[in-house]
Amino acid sequence: MNIKELPEIEYIIPGTGACAGCPSTIGLRLVGKALGENAICLLTPSCAVASMGMTPKTCYSFPALNICFASAGASGGAISMALDPLYSKKRLEGEKPVVFAWVGDGGTYDIGFQGLSAAAERNDDFIFFCYNNEAYSNTGNQRSGATPQYVPTTTSPLGKEMLQKNVPLLMLEHRPPYVATASLAYPLDLYRKVEKAKSIKGFRYIEIHMPCCTSWKFPAAETIEVSRLAIRTGSWLLWEAENGKLSLNGVTAALAEGKRKPLPVEEYLKAQGRYAWLLKSPDKDYYIGNIENNIRRELEFMAGRAKL
Amino acid sequence: MADKVLMKGNEAIAEAAIMAGCRHFFGYPITPQTEISAYMAKRMPKIGGTFLQAESELAAINMVYGAAAAGARTMTSSSSPGIALKSEGLSFLAACDLPSVIVNIQRGGPGLGGIRPSQSDYFHATRSTGHGDFHMIVLAPNTVQEMFDLTLEAFDLADKYRMPAMILGDGMLGQVMEPVDISRGNNIKTYVKDWALTGTKGLRKRNVVNSLYLSAEELELLNFQRFDKYKEVEKIARTEDYLLEDAEVVVVAYGICARIAKNAIDTARKNGIKAGLIRPVTLWPYPKHQLKAAAEKAKAFVVVEMSMGQMIEDVELSIRCSRPVLLCNRTGGMVPTREAVLESIEKAALLKGEQNADSI
Repeated sequence: MNIKELPEIEYIIPGTGACAGCPSTIGLRLVGKALGENAICLLTPSCAVASMGMTPKTCYSFPALNICFASAGASGGAISMALDPLYSKKRLEGEKPVVFAWVGDGGTYDIGFQGLSAAAERNDDFIFFCYNNEAYSNTGNQRSGATPQYVPTTTSPLGKEMLQKNVPLLMLEHRPPYVATASLAYPLDLYRKVEKAKSIKGFRYIEIHMPCCTSWKFPAAETIEVSRLAIRTGSWLLWEAENGKLSLNGVTAALAEGKRKPLPVEEYLKAQGRYAWLLKSPDKDYYIGNIENNIRRELEFMAGRAKL
Repeated sequence: MADKVLMKGNEAIAEAAIMAGCRHFFGYPITPQTEISAYMAKRMPKIGGTFLQAESELAAINMVYGAAAAGARTMTSSSSPGIALKSEGLSFLAACDLPSVIVNIQRGGPGLGGIRPSQSDYFHATRSTGHGDFHMIVLAPNTVQEMFDLTLEAFDLADKYRMPAMILGDGMLGQVMEPVDISRGNNIKTYVKDWALTGTKGLRKRNVVNSLYLSAEELELLNFQRFDKYKEVEKIARTEDYLLEDAEVVVVAYGICARIAKNAIDTARKNGIKAGLIRPVTLWPYPKHQLKAAAEKAKAFVVVEMSMGQMIEDVELSIRCSRPVLLCNRTGGMVPTREAVLESIEKAALLKGEQNADSI
């Protein structure tokens, strides 16, 4: 399959209030093509809700449920629980819709983590998508648990001290039927993973890396380019796991096997204004050294996990 | 810093908190109050304070609970849905008599609502911010200067009476910029907190901060004692009055609505209607005596608020429904216009003290 052969269904129709270059709308559009028309979406407070436009010009074409910030894990499973008997007792005809939550990193890594973890443990039947733009962009760029080290935001003005959490790995260790990471620069990989998730019953988690031109400070036309640099430098890893069995995908697999050398991380950093201070710092080499060590460590760790 | 500075309402609250000696701020992003967090994130590290962006509102209020128990001046801020999440923590703070300051820059509700200004958390703030029998001091600023002044006062009152105090603002006050005289912040009173958990070092009796009482008799007694204290606190109830002396139509409004009402009152006076304003500065305790006194001269009341009518119940209670009370309201993020308030004043002027406003 190539990108021209993707289904014509459009989840994002004209009327979106999103920023130019918004990765969330690009991602949701691709996800929609894989999920098809029989789906119900849960939206937590986030850019994805704030940018959907004003009624009647909402830019989404799917049935949607707007939920509390902390509750994607709780509400997602409950929709499915309510639908199951209706379909099994034939009160509703046809195939049960795919239930999916479209949640930012704040709603996944921070305030929503308790509900997310519990939904995974119960194996609730829905797909949890985390669109990870590494900040609370909707409220004007505050740090989240997904914000990488050294990144300045309005609430980490000197650069964040801590490393980001590895939530996809934490979800993997809940041992749900399916967990995957994806990138907008590899749309067919994303499409395949969503299709795969759709074919599985139970709790499924897909996290998509979402370079946000507004918070990360790069030109709106470079969303995909920055996404690609994240993969090629090893800053974001592509992998999937079925029932706990992990495999690395695409460029990430090639990096892990040594078939391909990672691009210098500076290529990725200099594409983003949020790292400008670091690249100008007299301690630049120290910072870059730390970032590269961390990339190496994560890659080795995930490659090791793939051997289990 | 110069004594007079141009500040956003949210920034004025943050600076006042710092000048009041608050060195522990726990926030979480939500429009329209995120500037408080951003301001604290910049300022706190420079003065050796703690700014912490929590993982949720629930975490932030319980960080306040921890820091307050250790005797620190501490604050959190949020907007309507976030304050709802803090409710249990507020009940715990009140139950343990812990001084703390909570800022609510209200937005339209219910649910996720909108991000525009609102006053629809009046009930939540004055009646039921959490479970159980308790009150918080609730202060309602109507200028950026008052955002500053009342924040200073909130820290003082919270320490003085050992209870949580809330600044109840709205999205417009949070976002608007006005000059602020910050010199009052240089004169701060502090209180001895011998009840705080600071470690005994084996030298004194331990302190316990607790809200669990399995003996109903004990819990009842504590609740009665706390409400005896509230009787004392009720003495701080205060208003700002405008042209009230001879007013036949009394407008009651707080926060941004009071500023709009003032304009409407000026026009009404030019048109020959004796209108005046009572602006409650404290929403809890509510200035019920001031309202009752005004009812003796007034023929009718107009309540202006950005909700479906919440404070109007306190006005009717305060005057024991002895005069007709009209509601001039907008909700969902809309703000009443001067013209709409004027129209309500004109309607009220025609009532001449009839008991029932329901037929209007």
